[in-house]
Amino acid sequence: MSKDFILEIGTEPLPARFLAPVLEQLSAKMRAVLRENRLAYEKAQVLGTPRRLAVILTGVADRSAALSREVQGPPARLLKDESGGFTPQAEGFARKQGIKPEDLATVSTPKGEFLLARIHDPGEAASKIFARILPELITSLEFAKSLEWEPTRLRFGRPIRSLVALYGKSVIPLKLAGVRSGRTIFGPQRSALIKEAGEYAGKLKNLLVLADPEERRQVLTRLLETAVKQTGGKLDQEGGLLEETVFMTEHPVPVVGHFRLEFLALPAPLLKMVLKKQLKFFPLLGPGGLLPSFVGVRDGVSEGQAQVREGYERVLTARLSDAAFFLERDRKTSLQSKLPLLKRVTYQNKLGSMADKAGRVEALTGRIVGRLTAADFPVNEDSAGRIAALAYADLVCETVKEFPELQGLMAGWYARQDGLDERIALGLEEFYFPVGPRSPIPTTIEGAVASLAAKIDSLAAHFAVGNAPTSSADPFALRRQALGALRIVLEKQLPLDMEEMLSAALAGVRESLPLSPEDEKRILADLSDFLWGRAEGLFAEKDFSADEIRSVREGGLRHLPNAFRRLSAIHSVRRDPDFEPLAAVFKRAANILKQAVAKKEVIAQDGPQRSVLTEPAEIELFDCLEHVSGSVEQHLAEARFEEGLKEVVTLKPKLDAFFDKVMVMAEDRNLRAQRLALLSRLVRLITRIADLSEIQGPEKSSAQPVIVNR
Amino acid sequence: MLTFQEIILGLQRFWAKQGCLLIQPYDMEKGAGTFNPATFFGALGPKPTAVAYVEPSRRPGDGRYGDNPNRLGKYYQFQVLIKPAPAGIVPLYVRSLKALGLDPKKHDLRWMEDDWESPTLGASGVGWEVWLDGMEITQFTYFQQMGSLPVFPVSVEITYGLERIAMYLQKKSSVYDLAYDDKTTYGDLFHEAERQFSTYHFEAADAAMLSRHFEDCEKEGERLAALKLPLPAYDCVVRVSHLFNALEARGAVSVTERAQYIARVRGLAKKVMNLYLELEAAKEAAHV
Repeated sequence: MSKDFILEIGTEPLPARFLAPVLEQLSAKMRAVLRENRLAYEKAQVLGTPRRLAVILTGVADRSAALSREVQGPPARLLKDESGGFTPQAEGFARKQGIKPEDLATVSTPKGEFLLARIHDPGEAASKIFARILPELITSLEFAKSLEWEPTRLRFGRPIRSLVALYGKSVIPLKLAGVRSGRTIFGPQRSALIKEAGEYAGKLKNLLVLADPEERRQVLTRLLETAVKQTGGKLDQEGGLLEETVFMTEHPVPVVGHFRLEFLALPAPLLKMVLKKQLKFFPLLGPGGLLPSFVGVRDGVSEGQAQVREGYERVLTARLSDAAFFLERDRKTSLQSKLPLLKRVTYQNKLGSMADKAGRVEALTGRIVGRLTAADFPVNEDSAGRIAALAYADLVCETVKEFPELQGLMAGWYARQDGLDERIALGLEEFYFPVGPRSPIPTTIEGAVASLAAKIDSLAAHFAVGNAPTSSADPFALRRQALGALRIVLEKQLPLDMEEMLSAALAGVRESLPLSPEDEKRILADLSDFLWGRAEGLFAEKDFSADEIRSVREGGLRHLPNAFRRLSAIHSVRRDPDFEPLAAVFKRAANILKQAVAKKEVIAQDGPQRSVLTEPAEIELFDCLEHVSGSVEQHLAEARFEEGLKEVVTLKPKLDAFFDKVMVMAEDRNLRAQRLALLSRLVRLITRIADLSEIQGPEKSSAQPVIVNR
Repeated sequence: MLTFQEIILGLQRFWAKQGCLLIQPYDMEKGAGTFNPATFFGALGPKPTAVAYVEPSRRPGDGRYGDNPNRLGKYYQFQVLIKPAPAGIVPLYVRSLKALGLDPKKHDLRWMEDDWESPTLGASGVGWEVWLDGMEITQFTYFQQMGSLPVFPVSVEITYGLERIAMYLQKKSSVYDLAYDDKTTYGDLFHEAERQFSTYHFEAADAAMLSRHFEDCEKEGERLAALKLPLPAYDCVVRVSHLFNALEARGAVSVTERAQYIARVRGLAKKVMNLYLELEAAKEAAHV
């Protein structure tokens, strides 16, 4: 007859962030180990609060399923030796299969006679299986961080203080970390005895424990809605506080509190940070912004609500007064006048202070602005420079020391207090944008440029000191920074040579960290590959295929917006039936050139010259190329790559004929040099759009994924 | 309503009943109760221990000239250290709050993940901040490492923030308004000291002298360690640690120096710790 089963691991309070992952493990591992042991059950449910991890199984069979199987062993002649005793081989085989040697059978196969072990596993009693599997199951659970606390030195997320393991009415005997399994569960105030597994869920409720996270979420959501109604506001749930609260409580009870109106004068992000991060309170939003109210969630019952509310309000008042005090101190001096203090803030051990970093970012910003201005790209030099110069000033502000997440936001706020131009304030506020892969980049071009400079400097600086990300670790979030830089360049359409900018950034870094020319060359190559690797990821997300992306690698970083246009051009022209064959012929031309260069063949510097060419096919190609070049050049100059590429495709028949009729490596040296020059001109022209030799034939093109995580 | 001194008396009575020795504060400036030798040495090695004490804690950089109602340059911790950590320590702690008249049923008692760490002692542990209706009143830690090495058996350290608890119990929003006893406030006793010591640490301290003292104490510690005198050498650890805090508050520690100072204190602490364990092991061996 089937019965229910319950396991409860009672712990000291587990951190909220541990719960979801460990419950998932518990569920997966329990199911796997039951399957392995052929123990049938109807339903498995995993429950968890900070104080307990539990599994309820319903309808567990009383035995595991019986199983018969046959295992073939060594040749049958090895059963006994000359004296009639079992051979070591036969004994070994039998032992391994868990049977006696006299029970071995034989089987004939086309390959001869072999020993056969017939194994019958009659199944095992469920309670025995549980006693066997549970200790390993429990000790195999992993946590982001674990500790030791008792003599057996077991490691767990927090100390285990009780164990309940029941199959039907009987306790499964376990002993772990000095704790013996029993039938007592502990609630926040009282404990209860579980006579049989099926009672567990009900008894927990009696103890005021909502053990099912999903149920807790629903209850909490409903209670919050009711609580919020009386305030007329809306709950600010941003940042995962609801989820955290679900995993922070066994029985959540909302408490609505209020704070003094004057605190609404604090910057909203600061106010929210105090509420959410310091105190885990939900802010309330009204039509005009934050309301002077909040909802805290206590764990327990609703006894003494007024007292808890008063406590919450007093703590909040103290924290907000602190924040106001910090803000007041920060405002005593302007952002500008805080800059000298940056000398005392470390950026990176080998790379000096944040003042050094700010200096480099400012210089790089100037360089970027210069390049943009030269390309007639409108940008206000003064504003961009000011943003770069002031960007780190808030790092020495008390508010940012207290809440590092507010960096940038506070600089923008203080800038407005200092009466700085809104363009500068906004640029400061958005200096660390984009914060996520889908979140916005800085609004203004000036803010974008300063932010870009900072990101490029971070990449160069960290690569220079050997902090390049590895496949498993990226402690300085350089992937994110690279992605941010690329998004800024692409979304703002900046005509910037990123190779040049990386090199300029590294030159700045070199002032505090001497680098040999070889080192510098290697670091630059690494940086360029790394940045391109991120660009590949971005492009792949926009559904360009790997070969298309490779074809624009050459010169890609020197003008990213054009690289994107070149990609789009290939992607679209690719559908032309002549395109992929053209790519194949292009590859042939490029290979011939490569080999010629390797053999130190002369390529006519002045060529190709029509008068020297002899065959009609090559003269036709020459004429056609002559004709097409002009308009392709025109298209390229205006970044109309698709039109350019379409023109190139018209060369295809002439190029086919050329390879059909003409032998490039002619006997005559002069002629050979001219023919090579003709191919060279062709290849150079096309390569300005894409290196078509990277384009795969139709069957392979989609089979090569881009490797995004390099 | 319990006065500040009644809170101390209550905790002392409670933990004495649990078998803790009520030792007295260590007579040196230090940043936290953990620096008391009863905890530093108590947490090392196999010998069981159970102590409770009040510890004046000095944090020169936290001084606010007596202007901030919540921050102090010097305050009082009530510290409990028990090795090995008893199985029922969490409920026991909750009972200690009941001894202060707090009924956990009527409050929100929350255990927030907070893993304590002391870079100068190379020490770290796993545990919580305990929140009482949102106010952090206790740091609760299972020691895992000292001098960057695992400690075994594991000690539990409970550090009550006395001012915070008193502010809660007395419903005061400024620490200076706390009733120390029936007639005297915390402000009567310490406000002027907060003002003067803030001026001293932020403006008047002789940084050159502090820096010289740091050097001298560090050398002395090394010398005493070489003479196999870990207890006096440990005094030097406590002293250099405080001198570093004072130098930092005075703004006399540059970016690059900071990490070096911390490494120097930790280096000396580690030496003293190893020496102590070595001598204890030798003593143990001699007994057998």
